[in-house]
Amino acid sequence: MSEILKFNVNGFPVEVIVQPTDTLLSVLRDKLNVVSPKCGCNHGDCGACTVLLEDEAVKSCLVLAMTVVGKNVLTVEGLMKNGEMHPIQKAFQDYGAPQCGACTPGMVMAAKAFLDKNPNPTVEEVKEALSGNLCRCAGYKKYTEALMAVVNGEYPL
Amino acid sequence: MRKFFYHAPSSLWEMFAIVDEFRSEDLKLVAGGTDYVPRLNRMLSQIPTGEEKPTHIIYLGKLDFKGIREVDGCVHIGALTTLSVVESSKLIQEKFPVLIQAIKSLAGISVKSIATIGGNICNASPAADTVTPLMVLSATLVVSGKEGDRNVPIEKFFKGPGKTVLEVGEVLKEIIIKIPSGSAAFMKLGRRKAETLSVVNASAYVDVVDGIIKEVRMAAGAVAPTPVRCTKAEEMLRGKSLSTEVIKEAANNIPADISPIDDLRASAWYRNRVSTVMMKRALLSACHLNIEE
Repeated sequence: MSEILKFNVNGFPVEVIVQPTDTLLSVLRDKLNVVSPKCGCNHGDCGACTVLLEDEAVKSCLVLAMTVVGKNVLTVEGLMKNGEMHPIQKAFQDYGAPQCGACTPGMVMAAKAFLDKNPNPTVEEVKEALSGNLCRCAGYKKYTEALMAVVNGEYPL
Repeated sequence: MRKFFYHAPSSLWEMFAIVDEFRSEDLKLVAGGTDYVPRLNRMLSQIPTGEEKPTHIIYLGKLDFKGIREVDGCVHIGALTTLSVVESSKLIQEKFPVLIQAIKSLAGISVKSIATIGGNICNASPAADTVTPLMVLSATLVVSGKEGDRNVPIEKFFKGPGKTVLEVGEVLKEIIIKIPSGSAAFMKLGRRKAETLSVVNASAYVDVVDGIIKEVRMAAGAVAPTPVRCTKAEEMLRGKSLSTEVIKEAANNIPADISPIDDLRASAWYRNRVSTVMMKRALLSACHLNIEE
């Protein structure tokens, strides 16, 4: 049962043919070539697939593609403005948070969704917010420090 | 080849019509999808074994069972309300902090933004984190079917792991909780601090008046085929004078109310022992006593 799905990715309207079992992750990566969200586990544990759906962080491997009709999706590709990295990306880079980089897109999007709604969290709240994103390189401490630097105003949002 | 179909009914009647038309095939009601889609992904990555019936994914997201409102001393939560909306509701934070504790421990932001409270209940995992708090709050579930709505007390809703009393074509509409006079607490033990299934979870509600335990309700999860009320332990506390000794005695009796099994996460032996600790902590916390006692 194929259908044409119309929704918005990073500000652009897109149309793709999807199956009922397609997830948002597979549509972004395999049909739209938006490859920043990664397929780490495909069952909602690792968070490498995290993107923003209507301003909320979601694990795109858990979202059935047909349910996003008409909605807005934001990925890392949509974060750069005029060639400038987003403050969260700059902070991660400066603090040396990404090692292999597999978890980084998910971390960036989860952090963006969280900080947009909670600009002044405590360290514990930041850790809780990123609890859905696993990092096999164990870069957690640097990710947390980089985000606290963003919270403290070193990287104005 | 396994066939899949997708439907997104905009109304209950549309949903009933879809269910009637495809009653003989495999019907899957999907709300947030955070429990169903991983199972689907896993199944699709395996070699199909034989002739399976076509599956109809019926997405409930367009139905209007959303929102939280207070009516006549009761709070009504729409079954399709996402966990993040329930967590950020001032009304729930004020009247049912125990539910907030459970939702915080359930998952992170990227799951709670799409997962629904009704989905957590209807998925009927024995370890479901929102269920034991709702049990000690004596929540009532409103089920909608073609013949109309019916009320089911949450204790009567579960038949076994993954099984509820919902008939084909019925859907959970809302959860009604009467605002109680006492207070409740939730404790969860997982194999790690976040993004983890419960090894044991325990909820306790107490109403203490003039130092006497007027009413107490306890429920434990992941220790039986369904989440269960611990009625024998409750009897040891009802009407008694509140003290940490009497709480410890009742908590130590929890194994009489539960029937855990060995599984991937823990053994029955361990669950029998640790459930007493988690329930003791839940009780002490509900009574605003120091849980390090």
